[in-house]
Amino acid sequence: MIVCVAVVGHQNNPLYLQSFTEADDALKLHHIVHCSLDVIDERVNNPKKTGPTLNETFLGLLYPTENYKVYGYLTNTKVKFIMVTTDLDVRDVDVRNFFRRFHSAYVDAVSNPFHVPGKKITSNTFAQSVRAIVKSFGSSTAV
Amino acid sequence: MGREVAESCVDSVVIEMVSAYCSRLYSTHPEIAARRIEAIGFQVGHQLSERYTMERPRFSDHLEAIKFICKDFWSELFKKQVDNLKTNHRGTFVLQDNRFRWLTRVSYDPTPANSDVSPASDPSQVVDKAAQATSMHLYFPCGIIRGALTNLGIPCAVSADISNLPACSFVVRIKV
Amino acid sequence: MEDYAEEIRTPPVALVAVVGVPALHQTISAALHVEQPPINTLALPDFSRISIMTSKQKETLDSSPPGGIMKRDWLAKHRTKIPAVVAALFNYDHVCGDPAQWLQVCTDLENLKAVIRGRNIKLVVVLVQSTVNVDTSEDRLIALRKRAEIDAKYLLVFVQSDPSELKLSLNRLATVFAELSHAYYREEGRKIRTRIEKKIFNSIELYVRYCFKVAVYAEFRRDWAEALKFYEEGYNALREMVGTSTRLPPTQRLVEIKAVAEQLHFKVSTLLLHGGKVSEAISWFWKHVGSYKKLTGLSNVAFLHWEWVSRQFLVFAELLETSSTTIQSTTSPLSKKPLTEWEVQPAYFYQLAAKYLREKKHCLDQTLSLSESSGESGGTKAGESSLESVVPSVYVGQFSCILEQEEAFIMQPLTDEEYVLYAIAEGKRFQESYEIIALLKKSFDLYSNAGALRVASYCSGQMAREYYVAGDFSKAKHLFDGITDLYRKEGWVTLLWEVLGYLRECSRKLGSQRDFIEYSLEMAALPTVSNSGMITTDHKGECGPAGPTSQQQKEKIQREAFGFLSGELQLFLNEGTNSSIDSTEIQPIELEIDLVSPLRAALLVSVAFHDQVVKPGVPTLFTLSLLSQLPLPVEIDQLEVQFNQAICNFTICKLEHPSSVADSSGPLQTETIPNLTLVTNKWLRLTYTIIAGQSGKLECLTVICKIGTNFKICSRAESPASMEELPVWKFEDRVESFPTKDASLSFSGQRFIQVEEPDPQVDLLLDSSGPALVGEDFVVPVSIISKGNAVHSGELKINLVDIRGGGLVSPRDMEPFSPDSLHVELLRVSVSNENESETGLDSIKNIQQSFGLLSVPFLDIEESWSCKLEIRWHRPKVVMLYVSLGYLPSNEATAQKVHVHKSMQIEGKTPLLISHHFMMPFRQDSLLLSKIKPATDSEERETLALDEISILAISARNSSEVPLRLISMSLEAEEEVVVKPSGEVSAELAMLVPGEGFKWVFSVIPQSAAPSIGVGTVSLKWSRDLPNSGEIAPRITTKYKIPVVKVERPPLMVSLECPPHTVLGVPFTLCLKIQNQTPLLQEISYSVMDAQSFVLSGPHNGSIDILPKSEGILCYKLVPLMCGQQQLPRVTVTSSRYAARLQLSIAASAVFVFPSQPYFEMDGKGIKRLPATSDTQATLSVT
Repeated sequence: MIVCVAVVGHQNNPLYLQSFTEADDALKLHHIVHCSLDVIDERVNNPKKTGPTLNETFLGLLYPTENYKVYGYLTNTKVKFIMVTTDLDVRDVDVRNFFRRFHSAYVDAVSNPFHVPGKKITSNTFAQSVRAIVKSFGSSTAV
Repeated sequence: MGREVAESCVDSVVIEMVSAYCSRLYSTHPEIAARRIEAIGFQVGHQLSERYTMERPRFSDHLEAIKFICKDFWSELFKKQVDNLKTNHRGTFVLQDNRFRWLTRVSYDPTPANSDVSPASDPSQVVDKAAQATSMHLYFPCGIIRGALTNLGIPCAVSADISNLPACSFVVRIKV
Repeated sequence: MEDYAEEIRTPPVALVAVVGVPALHQTISAALHVEQPPINTLALPDFSRISIMTSKQKETLDSSPPGGIMKRDWLAKHRTKIPAVVAALFNYDHVCGDPAQWLQVCTDLENLKAVIRGRNIKLVVVLVQSTVNVDTSEDRLIALRKRAEIDAKYLLVFVQSDPSELKLSLNRLATVFAELSHAYYREEGRKIRTRIEKKIFNSIELYVRYCFKVAVYAEFRRDWAEALKFYEEGYNALREMVGTSTRLPPTQRLVEIKAVAEQLHFKVSTLLLHGGKVSEAISWFWKHVGSYKKLTGLSNVAFLHWEWVSRQFLVFAELLETSSTTIQSTTSPLSKKPLTEWEVQPAYFYQLAAKYLREKKHCLDQTLSLSESSGESGGTKAGESSLESVVPSVYVGQFSCILEQEEAFIMQPLTDEEYVLYAIAEGKRFQESYEIIALLKKSFDLYSNAGALRVASYCSGQMAREYYVAGDFSKAKHLFDGITDLYRKEGWVTLLWEVLGYLRECSRKLGSQRDFIEYSLEMAALPTVSNSGMITTDHKGECGPAGPTSQQQKEKIQREAFGFLSGELQLFLNEGTNSSIDSTEIQPIELEIDLVSPLRAALLVSVAFHDQVVKPGVPTLFTLSLLSQLPLPVEIDQLEVQFNQAICNFTICKLEHPSSVADSSGPLQTETIPNLTLVTNKWLRLTYTIIAGQSGKLECLTVICKIGTNFKICSRAESPASMEELPVWKFEDRVESFPTKDASLSFSGQRFIQVEEPDPQVDLLLDSSGPALVGEDFVVPVSIISKGNAVHSGELKINLVDIRGGGLVSPRDMEPFSPDSLHVELLRVSVSNENESETGLDSIKNIQQSFGLLSVPFLDIEESWSCKLEIRWHRPKVVMLYVSLGYLPSNEATAQKVHVHKSMQIEGKTPLLISHHFMMPFRQDSLLLSKIKPATDSEERETLALDEISILAISARNSSEVPLRLISMSLEAEEEVVVKPSGEVSAELAMLVPGEGFKWVFSVIPQSAAPSIGVGTVSLKWSRDLPNSGEIAPRITTKYKIPVVKVERPPLMVSLECPPHTVLGVPFTLCLKIQNQTPLLQEISYSVMDAQSFVLSGPHNGSIDILPKSEGILCYKLVPLMCGQQQLPRVTVTSSRYAARLQLSIAASAVFVFPSQPYFEMDGKGIKRLPATSDTQATLSVT
């Protein structure tokens, strides 16, 4: 289950953060997302030497905490997507697929002429489509 | 995304926007009008670059991003690629389009309309005036380029140069 | 890890014992210790001590179940007491000595054998010799060997005399020891392994114990693979025991199992990490933690569990850290699983250790509070008394009670209740907070070294939280303060809110009112997190003391802050710690908000002048805009605006409070306004007129906001044009408006304005006439006419600037100050005043080549003063002349300088163009060889014939736009030439209008032949032609140097003799004289071309020989046939010696033919005859 998704701007500022848990661990999730930015920084600054993954938008598993797995994605426009899940057995394909859909939802949201670049995303439509994407995570392999 | 609009509509909107800002909203302050038009272009470029870079790996350096602007981005906007790209390798790039689509319909009347004033004014002044009007139309594409590059992490300043009309070159100076 | 005993922490080392000959023990143990692998030595000085090895017989296979899984001291015993090998050392003398000594040796040996027999310990006998070549008696040796019942190779001879021999002996000894100890541990291990394999054990405890022993024996042998295998085996068996064993009460049972598991796990992890298998070690660790994490046991001892878990993390972190050097080299190729580099960070494990320690503390607190609430029962009292006698029992992870019974101590097992009481009592003794902080500190250090700022900040925040919980508020505040910047910068409002909430509480507890207000205002001015789902409604302490971010909370905080400031709320009352501050009294608080302060969100002040420049005394508009993001409206009582020119300061206050202002600020200007309330995110714009006092910069510095009697906010004023966005708010999607109504002013408005100087009331006139001429002293009259101002301490600055910016000095000229190099020069300034003596005294005159400064005397209104600038041009150039006058309109101290600027462009022109021209006399030519064959390097130098007359024509043309008058001309000849006429030749004041020219003719006779000879310099005196002839313009001399010429002796001279004019039909003679000036015979060929106008008699072509230094003459008789200027037949003369041809110019070979004899005199004005030339040779006219 995905417990949290976040969009982080290029100044490492949160643009959107939504948790999907019943418990009151929102603050903890904030901390997890914020700390995972360190990992993204390191990934981007010292990329692994392996060829195909170089400069790929999907950053893969950032770091496994005790109870969560944190995945990252960095767009060409230096916007970071972070996803926190409790599933211990996650298929890479699912995560990639998730981020792809999330990215297109994000692009739709920021292409709204009333959205000011660099500001937080407050669109309800975006929130709804994110909810739908989160709900369908892992259930269908090919979308 | 399959939603498309007729090219003529885009042309009309751009022309109308420029004329609205230049002759109605800020007729006395051309520099504010230019600033406003450029800002609109900036936002458009910002958003378009978000969409057009969706399915591609991240750019490793400035040149790659500029090439993207010249090829894919230009193709999406103007259905052709930039004809010539020059650089001094120190942060200045010149993108030359020999037939810039938004200028193909632009021309100026060599015989001035209000002939009661103009006989005295020499033809070079008329050309100057026309060039000034055309340059108002170029703030929008300049803004688009700047917005796209800024969004790709390259803060820069963009200016346009129209020496002979359908051709247009955009000068990108990357801020360090 | 330090909690663990030494024998657990380090890999076991084989142990041998040496007995007898104590003098050698030191040498032997030292040598063995540095062996690879090392061997520890148990040194027993004599044989009476050997009983130390005979510990009590073990229980081996009794049927009763064992009292525990592992004995605490077993490993230590094998590492320090029970040797694998015993070496009996005997002196050679004793063995080979007298029978009594031999007997003693035998007895010792027997005793030793008795001791080691039961344990299967290996025996070595060492014979110590002092020298090598002592012949040993074979019999005794064999007897000794027999007695010791050992193989021949285990009877060693040890020689100590010679160093090399000693070394050899030691090596021999070490080899034998290594071999035997290896055998010993192998046998021991095999013995126990067979028990496992044959399943000769009746309980799983024994199985675990056997596995452990086998593994330890394997470790003794350095058989890591087997050791690892059996440790894991034992670990797995142990895990199965959790549900099955019933031997002990449940709580203690779990404690024991975990303690053993910890030991086994530690061994496994150590082995894995030392083998470089980091990823395996980590996955093993997670398996370990995962399988035990759920086994919390009963709730009242849950803290024990969490303590255990925390210890697992801590120990593993330490292991990782110590082996990190090996990790770095080996980890990358080994990792098969998708391990990120973050998982191998020890910092992460420290962080988790801290987390679980906090969990432990939480559980312990709960347990304590429970026991305290029910702690009155008498049973506990009794239990507590017995707690002092609780000690760890012989088994790992067990505790028992020592009871003193009849002078003997009896270990008695504990009940679970007793154990729990003991554990709680133990737990109370520790201060977890500081342990947690220490762990977090370690984690923080490691993370910050790795450059992971955000995780480090998180750790720092956690530390601060612990300090806060522990009541150390100043430390907590310090740490919290350190991390706010990061959250502010990156706009993490939720995290910032939490930290600020703590900080606010800390400053409240510390009694710092100012900090409290600052943090409160910053919190209240934070944006509300708009995502509704982000913070659920149910919060339990997760959000810090400030609760969740919400509009209500913000409003509450703002109300508290302002309530406190107004004295309505007393927030510091309940603190007993800061009794020094009288909590009822509020000190005046003054906050300062600068450009980087986080409080800008609470109050942002922007000021803009509507104009960019203004004249002094002229009112200009000034807009003051205030913006606050505080959730509730803020009532401001008074605003004070301060400028760098204090005279402009003014205050704004509400209409209700005019009295409060009137007394405080007398000289200040006061404005009143009905309402001074700041509403959230809405600019309060106030526009006033300002009258600048002095010229220069007028800048708005600060705006002071007074709220109530005790609260002041001092804000730096910001220009709207360069205003930074609010740090946290810039990411918010909010309505943004401009600080000024006029949008363009918001883009360009500045908080300062340039105040100009007042308009000058003085005229500065530059009166110049036309272009200047090169060489003359050009005069520019400057006059100052005062109209409205008196001129005090006036100063005139004169500046000459090249209009093309090239400077007035030619860059090629090397001497910087030679007058020639200067193109335009300011010569002097002459003051044409009546009383010159007075002005000359106090006038500062500073004249440089292109710059001049002079003082102007005092001028009253309506007075005037003038001076003349003299400027000389050395080259033609266009120059800007800048003249500026600075003066004080009055002699008061406050008077400000006023400047008047004037400039004028002056062109310097060349007045006369002088050129020269050489020619030969009329109808005469000389053969100049260099003309025929021009030298390759010749630079177009004129060639003149030696000793012959050459004609030099010099012309001067007026190239200026004014008429000039020529006065005279002279040619100063050089020594090698004779020039006629010499001296000054008057031009008789010839006037030249622009464009007109004038010519002089000189004859030049070179006196010596040389490739370059200077002819001379022409000096031309001239003056301007002034229209009103009363004045006489100054005479100016212009010099012109004639370029050098080449002089050579011509070999042949040709001259044509012919009458100057003829009459139609009258015959005349044409003679061509050829003069040979060489000492050689010259052969000359000639040819004549017919001319239409003449009838010619004579040979057309042929050749003549001319003797040296003589003359050949060709004569022709001609009859003209036509009138007018007619071309004579052309005669071409060719010298065969020089292969050169001579032909007179066309002009020279023409003659005028009259139709009949003329009747007028050929004499008149304008015709000059040079005295040296005959009529036929040259007639030059001046045009």
